[in-house]
Amino acid sequence: MTILTTILALAPALGGVSEPSGGLLAIKVGRAETVSGAAIEHAVILVDNGQIVEVGADLPVARGIPVFERPDWVVMPGLVSCYTRLGVDSRAGQEFSPEASPTPEIFPRHPDYKEVLEAGVTTIGIYPPGTGFPGHAAALRPHGATLAEMLVDEDAYLKVYFRANAQAKKQVRDAWAKVDEHDEKVKKAKEKFDKDSKGKSSEKKDEEKKEGEAKPEEKKDDKSKAFVPPEADAKIKPFLQVRDGELGMLVSLSQAADWAHWADAIGERKLDYALRVVMTREIDMFEVKEEIGKRGLRVVMEPQLSLVQGTMRQRNLATELAAAGAKIAFKPRNDTAGDHAAWLRHVGEIVGAGFSRDLALKAVTLEPAAVLKLDKKLGSIEKGKTANFVFLSGDPFEPSTQVMAVMLDGEFVSGEVKE
Amino acid sequence: MKLAQRFGALGALALAAFAFVARPALAQDGEKKDDKKDEAAKDKKDEKKDEWFAVTGGDVYTGTGAVLRGATVLSKNGVIEALGHDVEVPAEAKTLDATGMRVYPGLVAINSSGLFGMAAGDFADSVDPYNQRMLLALASGITTAGQSNTALKLKRRDIKNVVLRERYLATLSFTNSNPSGKREWVEKFDKAARYLRDYREWEEKKRDNKDLKEPNASGVDSTARAILEGRVLARFNSSSREDLLEVARLAQRFGFRPVIDGCVEGWTVADELGRAGAYAVVTPRDRRDKEEQLVRDGGSSIENAAILHKSGVQVCVIPSTTGVDLGGIAGRDILHLPIEAGFAVRGGLSDQAALESITIVPARLLGVSHKVGSLEKGKDCDLIVLDGDVLHYQSLVQYTVVEGKVAYDKSAELFYAHIRPRPTDQLAPESRQDKGESDEKPEGAKETPADKPAEGPKPEDKPEDKPEEKPEEKPKDG
Repeated sequence: MTILTTILALAPALGGVSEPSGGLLAIKVGRAETVSGAAIEHAVILVDNGQIVEVGADLPVARGIPVFERPDWVVMPGLVSCYTRLGVDSRAGQEFSPEASPTPEIFPRHPDYKEVLEAGVTTIGIYPPGTGFPGHAAALRPHGATLAEMLVDEDAYLKVYFRANAQAKKQVRDAWAKVDEHDEKVKKAKEKFDKDSKGKSSEKKDEEKKEGEAKPEEKKDDKSKAFVPPEADAKIKPFLQVRDGELGMLVSLSQAADWAHWADAIGERKLDYALRVVMTREIDMFEVKEEIGKRGLRVVMEPQLSLVQGTMRQRNLATELAAAGAKIAFKPRNDTAGDHAAWLRHVGEIVGAGFSRDLALKAVTLEPAAVLKLDKKLGSIEKGKTANFVFLSGDPFEPSTQVMAVMLDGEFVSGEVKE
Repeated sequence: MKLAQRFGALGALALAAFAFVARPALAQDGEKKDDKKDEAAKDKKDEKKDEWFAVTGGDVYTGTGAVLRGATVLSKNGVIEALGHDVEVPAEAKTLDATGMRVYPGLVAINSSGLFGMAAGDFADSVDPYNQRMLLALASGITTAGQSNTALKLKRRDIKNVVLRERYLATLSFTNSNPSGKREWVEKFDKAARYLRDYREWEEKKRDNKDLKEPNASGVDSTARAILEGRVLARFNSSSREDLLEVARLAQRFGFRPVIDGCVEGWTVADELGRAGAYAVVTPRDRRDKEEQLVRDGGSSIENAAILHKSGVQVCVIPSTTGVDLGGIAGRDILHLPIEAGFAVRGGLSDQAALESITIVPARLLGVSHKVGSLEKGKDCDLIVLDGDVLHYQSLVQYTVVEGKVAYDKSAELFYAHIRPRPTDQLAPESRQDKGESDEKPEGAKETPADKPAEGPKPEDKPEDKPEEKPEEKPKDG
């Protein structure tokens, strides 16, 4: 009932004012897969200025608000493809460059973006290619004439490509050792600062900014100024951000042994990260599902069944991981626009093989959004979230279902919806 | 915890009763150690609980020559704590009932490839403990293997402490086909020997004369020196009679024990090799033609291993292919280590020597015989439980235990579970006991086309050694 009153109160107030700007819109569909909660039949979604203002069943819409009504359609949040190289080439290096970003490579008018947008994908995460620490991924809207228009978040997650070998393990250990080194440096600088400010030294120290010096660096203009920690090396900064939870981390693994050595390399360190599991025909990742599940990690993987090695026995890794406690985020099977279009159908196959339907809906929206650290902003149909929707002719996982229209930030960007 | 402590002392006492397992001195050492451990355990409290594991009721072939029928092997934290008949098993111990089955030390393959994943080095940081080849090797009884001159433990689902020892063998090229290389090695050994002699002399004399200068080690080959000092073993790849004799002479001249790979014509010069204290790494199925223009003996012989052994050469057996062939049943790869040893038995090697050739001898060559290779108190609890003689081609490994943990259970893995499934209590209550003492199965050998080797060990080779084999346990073949 509170919903009703709000909407009634809100609608006239906004409706009158915002109508000229054309912001407010009521969407009436047969069913809304909200993802965050239960599905809503006869759903009404009120959108204003690119945001979801209200969601409910059969909400009355105040007069004057334009209504987009499709009683046969199903709406779900726009799909989120969090791990892709769409529109950029796959040349990769081997250097240690955690600070690198893939954004300079992006060509906004690449036809792939239009194609995936029409398939219902409203957010993509472009990752940097390469082994080791090739850089961090950026979150984009596959729509816009310039990079600035496309960009949602430049720092989505730090990409780590990890395989079970001595070199990779050393790189991981070294990186975190440097973080500890930096912390030590900050601690020392802080102590010195505290001492200095107490001791009230007369002369003003020059600003020193030399990286890689054993001596703790200090940045002080005035005694009265607050403590400014020494600047971290650009190559270390992403790790500090990961540690402080500002930046996500996605660790790419291809087999159970990779996991074992990764867990060994990071040791006891508490880190917030997601896994990227590269699905192969005979993947043995189920061997470590309990370990992954126990930590409640998010796993980005293809909606694909695998086989027990040397046999034709099928295994449903996604289902097994989810049962063990992991969160599943799907990515399209192949990194092509075509497989983005077939994405829901492929996920439907996994659902047919026993994966929970509710989790599957999450696995293409909210979970990948969480990998991009955007789950507070998008990924479900909830009040306050971005109005990114896919309008479907029927159930999302039904093979015959078609994408009818796509809304991005409250605007229809695809589909025959002009009235 | 208390029980465990009490047990420690008891176990050691019980063990002392078994003269063939441990000398009294050892047992006493064990007791002392246990006391220390007890104290340490008290300090640590429940920080780390001891992990007990016991294999009970099996006929334990210790690998040292003893057979303990219906005995118990008890492991504490992966190390054998006690073995014998009066072993008290702590209540919290996990147990494995091996009644009616045989317990052997885990097999050791001196060479292998691919068992530890794709990597060929840096095993501690790259081992793949989930790969199928490792599982298959465990299913064939192998618990320790050498690869890239590293001794490695087959630890399933565990990447910790996989490397047992590195670089214990130094391969030398010393053949008649490479005369300059031969000369070089002789010079290197000569120099190293002279240096070591000088060094010893200096050590003797420096007590009286402190000003004496230490002999100069520059120019002394480090490998040759390490070999002469016994820190590494010299490994040769020799098969022809002439090469073998050269190696034997070199070893005798400089006083080290050579490891000879191949050693195909070893049987022709076995006494020389025995005198040189050689180890031979043989593949009994290797074939080599005699050089017909020569009057002397030559070529391969099925009796090679037996003759070498009789002459005092320690024989290690390895199949001709040291990888695992997943493409089909190859029959000559690392998974058939005991069958290869069975061929040595076919040539007259004793069962005991054949068992040693795939357990303790390779363990010695890898420099890990203090840890693996036989079932003795204080060694790692690496053992295999089989339904018959380990050297018999129809025997199947039922369980493989690595460091006190079941790493392979035949009925739980898909590879061999369907072949002669283990009877359950309901299906065949007494099928494993009191039967088949005199059962032979000559027709069984004929009826199994998969058992290709026609000259495999026939049951009559060792009649009294398989009490539990029965005609109804014939392989179903598929």
